[in-house]
Amino acid sequence: MLKEQIDSLLDRVQKPARYMGGEMNCVLKDPESVDIRYAFAFPDVYEVGMSHLGSRILYDIINKRPDALCERVFMPWVDMADLMRQEGVPLFSIETRSPIGGFDMLGFTLQYEMSYTNILEMLDLSGIPLRSEDRTWDHPIVIAGGPCAFNPEPLYAFIDAFSIGDGEISTLETIDVVKQCKQEGVSREECLRRLSKLHGVYVPSLYRAEYHEDGTLASFEPTEEGVPRTVVKNMIADIDKADYPESIIVPYMEIVHDRINIEVLRGCTRGCRFCQAGMIYRPVRERSVEHLLDLAQKLVDATGYEEITLSSLSTGDYTCLPELAHKLMEKFQEERIALSLPSLRLDSKLKETLEETQKVRKTSLTYAMEAGTQRLRDVINKGITEENLMSSVSDAFAGGWSSVKLYFMFGLPTETTEDLNGIADLASKVVRKYFETPKNVRARGLRVNCSASCFVPKPFTPFQWEPQDTIEQFEEKQKHLCQIMHIQGVEFNWHTPQVSFLEACFARGDRKMADVLEAAWRLGCRFDGWTDQFSFENWMKAFEQCGIDPAFYANRRREKGELLPWSFIDAGVTEAYLWREHERAMRAETTPDCRKGCQGCGLKRFEGACEGR
Amino acid sequence: MLMQFQKGDIVRHLGLLDLQRTMQRALRRSGLPIAYSNGFNPHIVMSFASALSSGIPGDAELLDVSLHGETTEEACMEAMNRVLPPALHVSRIRLVDDRFPKVSAALRQAEYRITLWGEDALKIAGAIPDFLAQSEIMALRKTKRAEAMVNIRPMIHLLEAQTNAETKTVVLTARVSFVEAATLKPDLLLSSLCAFAGVDTPKCEIRRTCLLGEKDGQSVPLIDL
Repeated sequence: MLKEQIDSLLDRVQKPARYMGGEMNCVLKDPESVDIRYAFAFPDVYEVGMSHLGSRILYDIINKRPDALCERVFMPWVDMADLMRQEGVPLFSIETRSPIGGFDMLGFTLQYEMSYTNILEMLDLSGIPLRSEDRTWDHPIVIAGGPCAFNPEPLYAFIDAFSIGDGEISTLETIDVVKQCKQEGVSREECLRRLSKLHGVYVPSLYRAEYHEDGTLASFEPTEEGVPRTVVKNMIADIDKADYPESIIVPYMEIVHDRINIEVLRGCTRGCRFCQAGMIYRPVRERSVEHLLDLAQKLVDATGYEEITLSSLSTGDYTCLPELAHKLMEKFQEERIALSLPSLRLDSKLKETLEETQKVRKTSLTYAMEAGTQRLRDVINKGITEENLMSSVSDAFAGGWSSVKLYFMFGLPTETTEDLNGIADLASKVVRKYFETPKNVRARGLRVNCSASCFVPKPFTPFQWEPQDTIEQFEEKQKHLCQIMHIQGVEFNWHTPQVSFLEACFARGDRKMADVLEAAWRLGCRFDGWTDQFSFENWMKAFEQCGIDPAFYANRRREKGELLPWSFIDAGVTEAYLWREHERAMRAETTPDCRKGCQGCGLKRFEGACEGR
Repeated sequence: MLMQFQKGDIVRHLGLLDLQRTMQRALRRSGLPIAYSNGFNPHIVMSFASALSSGIPGDAELLDVSLHGETTEEACMEAMNRVLPPALHVSRIRLVDDRFPKVSAALRQAEYRITLWGEDALKIAGAIPDFLAQSEIMALRKTKRAEAMVNIRPMIHLLEAQTNAETKTVVLTARVSFVEAATLKPDLLLSSLCAFAGVDTPKCEIRRTCLLGEKDGQSVPLIDL
């Protein structure tokens, strides 16, 4: 009955393929044959969620277990969500269109803060009580992981347990515990208690936070004996041995990253000081060339995709990149498969490889410069110089590229007008470089796409103590940038600061932000990452209703020694290291990549980490 | 290679582009000797006989794919059904040479099965003989460029009803023209018929059952041309 009801809804919504299911390689298991039914939720639309590599890895890992099945669920777009409410259709899984409320476990992946209202919307559409305390065994155990789980506090009331760090092993361990608890018939509370004892798992209901009068955290303690005081992140030391899908779902509709994604390495040790991923995914771990070639072949055979992406935080740092790129090229040229290398670092020895890439197809080049002057790039420890950029674009233009993307941030700590002017200066120099390239060599139609986003200070970075610029400051800087970015051949894009402001509130939020989140959702906020859905007004109303000042989270400078809401998590990098980096940043002193010498970030405390370094 | 396949109910919402992409990826996986176009971005040389609107399933759709090597119909059938999801099942393969006409140009008629439910469905079924007895049926036909009143009577080649009075279900079989200058969409046929019967268009389900070409003055399934 529900299945037919859903089917009839599909005739009435935009992009029904989002809810259709039945894609090639999706896994259908008999629910009777398993002990644990796991719903894996990505709190955004299908085409975004299906592009996420981590979800695909975990989907594969769970389904490999004979005693469990994993089905996908995404946030229905607003038209579908409204129709479902109207017709009383609960949130359902893609594979079998089963109600999510009936699964044993529901795992959310937290990729960006602005998807938090969607989590509440999805819980509500599933008929699952929003707050963990109101749930019973009739509801799934709600788990969340992903980068945003490194500061789980704004979601503490809604998630039963967080899994922090690499999910490959942790996910299976949580399944083991829930399975055993269900078999033994213990209480839900006992199940959560047992989960809290797993490595890297945080159960918020077993901790108490107390606050000073000024709103800062006074204490954060477990409420009972045996619950760990510090939650240490999960880290898989040898990712070459970790499971990786050899077959992936091929969606019918076009998704954001519609290609084969192969994770060549995890982690990054360049130490850019604004970058949370570069800190929390440490240390650097690589897959072997043989393994990657084998995976590539299997995935090509299983999917028919025409493009392979080598993905990681910094693919240019992969030790054997030229060898891998060369071999992949050789292997797949016959099959007309394009190879694209994202997040290319300018300073890697990639020229050779690049020249080979273009034999198959020309992709546009992206340079994440992040800041306009060398001084500010030193502050943020972005090890790229103007010379690096110039020599690279010069080669690119001579090699027939004419489209270049430049990424910047503004609102960075210590930023001045000079740094903003530097952005325009760099863009002009790139344009000049193009015109210096002989006409008969360069391709026609220069496009320099320059975009500037607002800096958001993140937990577990050396800038975690820094205030974010106020919306007014951002707007002023933006106005200035728009004026100076009128350069022929350059297209300038910028992001509105309101979303970044909220992102900053949640990124470094505490438990009090949970009430703001719920209030905002009750006011109708959802899909906050989508400009057409975002309502700043409702968000401000929500803060007001809760009597909470957003500036406390976004624009306040934290003192050294302040107990931060995420301090109870051991993310690998130590607070001492982060503070050291913070001080060096203020002196505009750079720190070399730790592969050129250990910087004592704290990862060496982990077994098997930094091996061979 | 002419490939007759089903666009099943669960994938009825696929648009032409989605279906194209799915077929291309399936062909790449199939291991069949697929021909690629020349040029900067080589692509698989293939064409559908007709784009089936999103929302309508089809029982016997047709895709023409260029191959450049030896294979057999059995091998193609096996290979394609191995790489396509069950909802896009291949029911027939016919290998033809390059002299075979372009399938979209050879298309003349299409057959639809329209299922109607409710009290009005019975009235509609009853109205068919008189509806067809008219020498002219004027209807507003919308194309991408313009709207025009046209006589759709010559475009209706067959219209029959099977009635189940007990369940109040009527199944119409409609064979209509499907050529560039005169294509009759099933929803237009249905709305004209309903207007003639004096009822609103009831709840219905449309599926395309067959694509037809013309051989020696006879209508034959496109794949048998």
